[in-house]
Amino acid sequence: MTRARGKRLSAVAALGVATVLVATGCSVSVKSGTSNVGPTTLLVGGADNGSPALFRNFNPFSPNKRNLTTWMYEPLEVLNNLNSAETPFLATGYTQPDAKTVDFTIRKGVKWSDGKAFTPADVVFTLDMLKAHPALDVNGDWQHIKSLSASGDHVVFHLKTADVPAAKVIEQTLIVPEHIWRNVKDPVTYTDPNPVVTGPYTLERFTPNQYTLAKNKNYWQADKVAVQKIVVPGSASDLAIATQGFDWAYSFFPNVDNTWVKADKQHNSYWFPPGGIVGLLPNLTKAPFNNLNFRQGLSDALDRQQIADKAEQGYVKAASQTGLLLPNEKASLNPAIPNQGVVTQNTTAAYAAFAKAGYTKRGGKLVNSAGKALTVNLTTPDGWADWLQGAQEIIQQLRAVGITVKLDKPQPAGYQQDLQNGEFDLALGTIGGSGSLFQDYNNQLNSDFKKPVGTSTASNFQRYGSAATDSLLDQLKATSDPAKEQQLTNQLQNVVYQQLPFLSIFYGGLWGLSSDAKFTGWPSTKNPYASLMTWGSTPLLVMTHLRLAK
Amino acid sequence: MRYILRKFGLLLLTLWAAVTLNYALPRLMPGSPADAAIAKLSQNGPVSPSTRAAIEAQLGVPTGSWWHQYVQYLNTVVHLRFGVSYSFFPQKVSSMVAQALPWTLVMVGLVTVLAFVVGSLIGVAAAWKRGTWLDSLPTLSGAFLAAFPYFWTALLLVFFVGYVFGWFPTSGAYSADAVPNLSFHFLGDAAYHAVLPALTILITSLGGWILGMRNTMIGTIGEDYVTFAEANGLRGRTVALRYAARNALLPNLTGFGMALGGVVGGSLLVEQVFNYPGVGHLLYSAVTNHDYPLMQALFLMITVCVLVANFIVDVLYGVLDPRTRR
Repeated sequence: MTRARGKRLSAVAALGVATVLVATGCSVSVKSGTSNVGPTTLLVGGADNGSPALFRNFNPFSPNKRNLTTWMYEPLEVLNNLNSAETPFLATGYTQPDAKTVDFTIRKGVKWSDGKAFTPADVVFTLDMLKAHPALDVNGDWQHIKSLSASGDHVVFHLKTADVPAAKVIEQTLIVPEHIWRNVKDPVTYTDPNPVVTGPYTLERFTPNQYTLAKNKNYWQADKVAVQKIVVPGSASDLAIATQGFDWAYSFFPNVDNTWVKADKQHNSYWFPPGGIVGLLPNLTKAPFNNLNFRQGLSDALDRQQIADKAEQGYVKAASQTGLLLPNEKASLNPAIPNQGVVTQNTTAAYAAFAKAGYTKRGGKLVNSAGKALTVNLTTPDGWADWLQGAQEIIQQLRAVGITVKLDKPQPAGYQQDLQNGEFDLALGTIGGSGSLFQDYNNQLNSDFKKPVGTSTASNFQRYGSAATDSLLDQLKATSDPAKEQQLTNQLQNVVYQQLPFLSIFYGGLWGLSSDAKFTGWPSTKNPYASLMTWGSTPLLVMTHLRLAK
Repeated sequence: MRYILRKFGLLLLTLWAAVTLNYALPRLMPGSPADAAIAKLSQNGPVSPSTRAAIEAQLGVPTGSWWHQYVQYLNTVVHLRFGVSYSFFPQKVSSMVAQALPWTLVMVGLVTVLAFVVGSLIGVAAAWKRGTWLDSLPTLSGAFLAAFPYFWTALLLVFFVGYVFGWFPTSGAYSADAVPNLSFHFLGDAAYHAVLPALTILITSLGGWILGMRNTMIGTIGEDYVTFAEANGLRGRTVALRYAARNALLPNLTGFGMALGGVVGGSLLVEQVFNYPGVGHLLYSAVTNHDYPLMQALFLMITVCVLVANFIVDVLYGVLDPRTRR
């Protein structure tokens, strides 16, 4: 997650309470949890939002599924989106004999939770079902796949074009059992109330306010799973998280040292690695944003760390203009780019760049050759408090160099529409963090997404497009040679660093909190094997790492 | 009879206007349901283009001319077919409303009736004993409490009664591991959870009823027939309740009818603060997620209830007060 989740009033209430407590110096005492949580049971908070009540939907392809569906269904491989590392799960690995073929070897000896054997036929069935129902294909597998076939314990995918990065897309597909889903009439509206899965947990109990998962007795790596039970409340206020013995939570805590950590200094810790970049998207179809000198001026005028601190309470660092998530993707960094691509504020350089773009400062305002002062709009969704804070700081800093910025705060849906249709001057948006560098650059730079203003596009909202960059992307898509891959990635970093299709501002943190009172082995800066995200497939990595605390 | 028919015609006209507005308003909001769904997902980081495509395919956002859609919509309204929710896809709108409605009806409904009865009685007493502490105390505190915003009262209760003293739960309508049923154990649990939200509504709405009743009552007390009744030596209580209060109640009854109609809309802020799974909470989530089907069903239900309540009050008024029938 790259931003603090929109808070409900109830959460605000709890925060208010927590803040009052901190302010008055009361100590937050840990009470026993709301549920009878035993020593081998994990209590997880902020992982699912059952407002007003939890709806029993465990269909792994539904956008409104219960979040812990992905702790039960497994993909072929789990992709750690922090650093692109892959861990084999239902596959034991894959090879790419050429750029148009991916060959997965399917794991033997895996059983479904109802005791039936898992086979390559389940993989083929799942993919065929996604082809028949595009509404379920949330990964976009069939944008890459031409056909697939199973032979022995191999499933071979033939791709539409030379498409090496497709492996990282296909591997994330959650696999469902053919013997159950074969009989489902409409998989799009199916809610899969009693999921039959290969993963470490199965559904044990479900009520409108809370559900529990229990360890899957048939799990193929059961020896790695120490947590016997998981309790998931449908809502947990920050106050509850801090005081009721939660083991793992995902929440943006204000003043985390004084709230979450203070509640149990001995055991509670947090880790906020970058999960994406929050950046400033300039509309490249409009003057003056289509002028590189002007964008350079904007870039030099901003003090990114200051914006980061204002927006995210000092939890995250200023982002690298290379588009990489540092420090986790440091290995892919182009060594020729100075200071790891982090741009520092330089007002002198900013004025020089603005002058090249035809804007000079007069009477405290930037004016063009006709003497007209410059006014721009900055679009950010209403209700996302941390972004609003950041936007205010950006406005202050641009005002200091003489640009008048008006804040435009549409509702999130309206913001999304403005972005897709290209109806903005400057907008805050998220960039990167997919776990595949090709996808990250492709989504921001590929001219296929460059639709005229007024026509909706799915990505590259700033509408960047250049033949040279497209060619780099095509080459990266077609190569499986690590050295060539690195060389192309370096060139793409240069494109982003020099042409400024977007301005990286700060990292969107993944707001994970953990307590080692009952379980140890949590991911951290020292051991970043996964993030503390509670959705997606990376919790499978965490649940197979945790050990009982002695 | 002609009076009732006239009122009924008016009811049908306002119903049609409300239903039409109900169709138009959500569609005038910027952004589509798919945009809202994607915006929600993008809070967790960038949304891939393929996810976007899948969501659009799933929601099957309506196509065709607005006129065609409008006729289709009227057809579904007449047949009470509300379809599938967008933001809670594939859940049926009707089942979601059916889940939320009982909580709101029981909690908000009971409290509204209670506040009206208690408030009116206090108002009567205050007017009858005007000038004494029996008058000044409830009048002053009522005015004071009525000026409190709902959510502020709610937050105070959450903090002191719920958190500092820990007497009552501060969130939800029943315990985390409970399954709704009609056993005594569950009903007790639900009642226990309803105390704070109910108290919030009671505290903030009581003042209005007290003041309204007191002021109309003071007007009627000055009437000749009350003086006459007193001069005839009837007991004070009899005069106050049987003569003065009965007539003073009439204007307040209108307000009560409106309030009862509004009960169905739930109490948005209170339900939000206490995370109470009622209609107000559902409505808020429907609006923020551009969930047209859910929004339409809820608005329709609320407007129909308010209009019908108004109609009933009008008819009752005609029965209670012959002067209006002319």
